[in-house]
Amino acid sequence: MPLREQTDVEEVETILNEILNTNSPPVARCRLLSSGFNPGHTLNIIEDIGGHKECLACGCCVDACPFLFREPSRRERTEQRTSMALEVIVGADCDQCDACVLACPQVDTTIKNYIVNRRMIEVMSRLEQRIGDEDEPDLDLFLEEALS
Amino acid sequence: MDFELPEELKMVQSISRAFVTEQLKPLERSILGRAADLRDATMYLPLEKEHELMGMVKEIGLWGISIPEELGGSGLSTLANCLVEEELAQTIVPFSFGDVTPILFNCNPEQRERYFLPVFNRQKYAYLALMEPGKEGFENMEMRAEKKNGRYSLNGKKVSLSRAGEDYFAVVLAKTSPERGPRDGVTCFLIDKGTPGFAVSGGREKVGWEAQVREPITLVFDNCQASAGDILGEEGKAFYLGSKWLPARRIVRSARCVGAAERILDESTIQAQTWTSFGQFISGRPSVQAALADIATNIHAARLMVYEAAWKADKGLPIRREAAMVKIFATQMIHLVADNAVHIFDAPAYVGGLPMERFCRNATAMSSTNFALQLQRSIIARDILKGLKI
Repeated sequence: MPLREQTDVEEVETILNEILNTNSPPVARCRLLSSGFNPGHTLNIIEDIGGHKECLACGCCVDACPFLFREPSRRERTEQRTSMALEVIVGADCDQCDACVLACPQVDTTIKNYIVNRRMIEVMSRLEQRIGDEDEPDLDLFLEEALS
Repeated sequence: MDFELPEELKMVQSISRAFVTEQLKPLERSILGRAADLRDATMYLPLEKEHELMGMVKEIGLWGISIPEELGGSGLSTLANCLVEEELAQTIVPFSFGDVTPILFNCNPEQRERYFLPVFNRQKYAYLALMEPGKEGFENMEMRAEKKNGRYSLNGKKVSLSRAGEDYFAVVLAKTSPERGPRDGVTCFLIDKGTPGFAVSGGREKVGWEAQVREPITLVFDNCQASAGDILGEEGKAFYLGSKWLPARRIVRSARCVGAAERILDESTIQAQTWTSFGQFISGRPSVQAALADIATNIHAARLMVYEAAWKADKGLPIRREAAMVKIFATQMIHLVADNAVHIFDAPAYVGGLPMERFCRNATAMSSTNFALQLQRSIIARDILKGLKI
């Protein structure tokens, strides 16, 4: 739920690419590059929280992560559903699919648009590599053998 | 392009068709049961009958069509296997022409005598203990085989859907190197009946209205000792077993869907031509005609896909993508066919004790690995993304 005036990607493009190229969930750092919390979405409280960039602990990034979907045992290592927890439990095993960034309500739409329009093609080729090699055994064949 | 089957394959097809029509289809009633409450329905044919049929198939030279010649089978092509499987799937009688899982093709000479040949001749049953209770895949396998002083200590629990029998052995997957991934740290062991620490329960047929339901077999390994001689293939290479033959099995399984769908079409046609509603045969109704046409079109498409993929497999071409496509299409096809057949039949397809009911049940069973269809889609997508021509 970012501010109306969002981060101009042209200004942060170099560092953003650096973050997205790093083999670790990029959501937290993309959040810090964003404009922060829009107070229009809060209840009427005295404290001014406009522009705050903290993780809301909504857990959307944890739910969106395909690696954790494949290895649920990793997710069970912590009760926390924050971007920090995501970084810790996924770490360098990150698929770099950027799904966590797209799922985060605190990341600016401008950054999300940049990822979708400029980075997705790279993401697809990387994911394609992860599907598995032709020479690797297809475990599903064994499952079919057991069931039929 | 020639769509004509070679003469020798036509012969295999016609022999197996005649066998199914003359020998297997008349046995359907004994499988389905005769009494109104289906108490005498059985899961399998009596052992004597099965051995009698086995003798007949051996006489016509088709026993072990999917088994390589060096292992004593006929070693027929994938296409021939598909043609036979298509015919066998047209009956609910569970009988195969000497089918043995290709995982056992990697047996060494000693294991071949002790395990493979008795399974091939239906004297022993192989319990495929690959899955674990409560686990969907192999990613989080808990079964361990700890190596101490050259021997392995197996601990864990497995479930198997294999056919239960008097004499049996287990084909068990266990992690020998837990630190390595599932593709490299898993070893396959052959554990014979009566080995200390190996216990089996379940596998019973349920009677009454659930006559056709079989309990899965539970295999418990409690400090069960195995030697290096009990390892099938190489240590840590369980998922490389049968790699030469397993991919083609996916195509043959799809041929099974085609055969079952063909029988459903035959039964549906008879129903449409004999059942009347509001004074006319239902075959005259456009909706029933449309359902029949949809069934026939889908069967035709699936059959062409199966044959083409099998032909490629026989040419030695890569078939991973084709097998994935065939699996997706055939699985969805049999569902659609069963669905349309239920519309044509109205209620009887749900009524226990009729062949149609069993076929519709089987249609669902065929897609019991449906969750894996996404993986097949990934295989196809990978080739598209690589820029390969589809």
